[in-house]
Amino acid sequence: MTRPTARGEQRWATVILAGLGLLLLLPLVVSREDVVNFVFLILLSITLAQSWNIVAGYAGQVNLGHAAFFGLGALVARTLWIDGQPIVVAMVAGAAIATLFALLIGVAAFRLRGAYFAIGTLALGEILRTTVGNVLPEISTLPARTIATYRLTQRYYLALALAAVSMLVVAVLAGSRLGLGMRAIREDEEAAEASGVGALRLKLTALALSTGLAGLAGGLFAFYHISYYPSHPFGPHWTFDALLMTFIGGVGTLHGPVLGAVIYVVLKEYVALRWVDFHLLIFGAVFIAIVLMLPGGLVQAAERARRLITR
Amino acid sequence: MSVLAQQLLLGLLIGGLYGVAAAGLSLVFGVMKVLDVAHGELIMLGGYAAYFAVALLGLDPFLSLLVVLPLSLLLGVALYGGLFGFVVRADEETRVKNSLLIGFGLALALHALAVRLWTADERSIVSPYAGAVLSVGNLSIPVIRLASLTIAFALIGSLHLLLVRWRWGKAIRATAEDWQAALLTGIDVRRAYLLAFAIGTALAGAAGTLVTVGYSVSPSIGLEWTLKALIVVVLAGLGSMLGTFVGGLLLGVAEAASAAAFGGPYREVVGLVIFVVVLVIRPRGLFGR
Amino acid sequence: MLDVRDLDAGHGDIRVLSGVSLSIGPGEIVALLGPNGAGKSTLLNTVAGLLRPRRGSVTFEGEDLHRLRPHLVVERGVALVPEGRRLFGSMSVEDNLELGAFAPRARTTRRAGLERVYALFPDLQGRRRQLVRALSGGQQQMVAVGRALMTSPRLLMLDEPSLGIAPRLVGSIMDALVEINRGGVAVFLVEQNVQAALGLAHRAYVLESGRIALQGRAAELARDPHVRRAYLGPLAMRQ
Repeated sequence: MTRPTARGEQRWATVILAGLGLLLLLPLVVSREDVVNFVFLILLSITLAQSWNIVAGYAGQVNLGHAAFFGLGALVARTLWIDGQPIVVAMVAGAAIATLFALLIGVAAFRLRGAYFAIGTLALGEILRTTVGNVLPEISTLPARTIATYRLTQRYYLALALAAVSMLVVAVLAGSRLGLGMRAIREDEEAAEASGVGALRLKLTALALSTGLAGLAGGLFAFYHISYYPSHPFGPHWTFDALLMTFIGGVGTLHGPVLGAVIYVVLKEYVALRWVDFHLLIFGAVFIAIVLMLPGGLVQAAERARRLITR
Repeated sequence: MSVLAQQLLLGLLIGGLYGVAAAGLSLVFGVMKVLDVAHGELIMLGGYAAYFAVALLGLDPFLSLLVVLPLSLLLGVALYGGLFGFVVRADEETRVKNSLLIGFGLALALHALAVRLWTADERSIVSPYAGAVLSVGNLSIPVIRLASLTIAFALIGSLHLLLVRWRWGKAIRATAEDWQAALLTGIDVRRAYLLAFAIGTALAGAAGTLVTVGYSVSPSIGLEWTLKALIVVVLAGLGSMLGTFVGGLLLGVAEAASAAAFGGPYREVVGLVIFVVVLVIRPRGLFGR
Repeated sequence: MLDVRDLDAGHGDIRVLSGVSLSIGPGEIVALLGPNGAGKSTLLNTVAGLLRPRRGSVTFEGEDLHRLRPHLVVERGVALVPEGRRLFGSMSVEDNLELGAFAPRARTTRRAGLERVYALFPDLQGRRRQLVRALSGGQQQMVAVGRALMTSPRLLMLDEPSLGIAPRLVGSIMDALVEINRGGVAVFLVEQNVQAALGLAHRAYVLESGRIALQGRAAELARDPHVRRAYLGPLAMRQ
């Protein structure tokens, strides 16, 4: 598969981080809340997509229950924060719990073929969603005093920080020996194992990073929404969003998920306006087409185009 | 004590349906290494087909199987020809990965379609003998669910016979075991794949019918049933349809026991526990080769 | 009957065969010899349709084989007994044999075909309901040859039939091949056991590093000094 060069990727990473830096100024420059809100959604999506990208693109495992970790992060963070803990502490706790669950599944499933991990995470997500829905069926609403002191810009900067963190994690990973080992596993697991790469440990590391980030994103979700059903962030469409964004942009690349996140959020707003009912159908079809015909996403398409032109 | 026994019995009754749901998935995965996580949505569609067969055509609920089975077979052929037939062009590893991804996307799309067409409301079939109950000692056995279990068992038995006696059934088994050797023997492996997928979809449709008849159907049962099927497949392993049926029964009973022990809301958790435990202890499942 | 011309074939990026040409006439027994890794299996697999050649052609009785999928190659009358037998272990002897008659071509002669196989390998008749994986190596090889016979082939190809079989049984397999040939089926045999192969064949080819190094009548090749040194002499025993 045509991949961008390491240097090309690093260049993109710098550009993106610079862009994120510029976005620091957004709330100061723009007074419309809906714009800030929109960018917030994009930033959250970037984190979500990059977190899925780590396990899929760098360790080659398909996580179909990513929402489980998003949801756990949200659940724990929300509970602790409403209880009085500072939001950052609550978010970190949420991420820790999410990672714990992930490692439990991972240790059992990673010894076997990739399908087991996908099934296990799918099971975790769905079972958590049902159980949380049964145990906490009522809507979770912020207490009045918290609503009174709600400031979007706080959420915005947190989202910006998280997006930057996820970019950095992936960038450092891609360049490190850890990342190289993970890529080796993705290409050919048996060969990598035979050459002493220590596949299990690498996969678990990737999993921990991935689900930790997802948990943090979940915590951000809990911080942002005034009211929602506790089981909502466990829903499979969050997983699908992460999958779709990463695939649109390009799995296993540094900038692909960012590209995918931006395109998806923008498209979703547009599609939601015109074809509310068919939005999942359309995106489902797009996703299937990409998996079958352009698994490397837009990044792959761009690479192919560039090589054709420079020939 | 009898309350527990009653709960376990109900778990057994639904376990048979878990078995049928899993059998279709197991067949398809065993033969062509395609893990269709949209299987539950096919069950859901089968359930709606049964619902409308009864509501619009006035059929007896169980007779609706006669309508749903052929429709599901056709759907299977269409899905294979239009989608999964392309997935099998890749090597095994990529096939599994792609089928997971594509199945997932398909599942969400079908779910959205169902909500759009039929709303998110639950629907169930009211039949003349709906409330009939068989009393055995302290236990009351709902007749409809008992009949469903019997039909489920009959379906699994028929599948087993099909695979063992029918010419193409043997070809399917041969393909599952070694597709290259099957080709060298003169078997058109792609046709075997098509048949297996169609049969798998038909089983899903049948499971859906039994679900609608004995319980209810709504768009959201899709993912739930995919999960049940997956856990049973992991529990029972591949290769034995009867073993898969027993695995389904076991899951049903285990869920009932879990609900009795820890309370209703935690019913589903046992499925996940089973999954992890089986993987750690015996990765091939209880009955698998 | 079988005409291989200028064949280039391999797996992925690796080229295994370069410009291989050979032919097999009706009723012949032809052996393919050569060291491990020379490409003998690749050649058989390409003729059988499991691999697509990069260049060159494979024709059987005038018809191009190299574009056909394997089950259609069987339909044309070319059957392969693959290396390691590749039987359906979870199924019975009779099921395995009957599956051989799956293709339309062979379906009509299924009953007769079964009788022929049991006549050739009487050992199998008593074990027809046994699961194949419970059989010994030699018996499994009989099933494998039998299964290929059931396809009603005009050309029977075998990849290392004596591999993993007790030496005393090798003889009976070879005898069966002679019997089959007498019935009008051409045989293309890849064999490590050069002595047995040359004793059986009319003609032989030697494949080395993906190319045909030698060819000729079996008796001549048995006397050829290079062949003797590399494949028949004391050095060969060490391989």
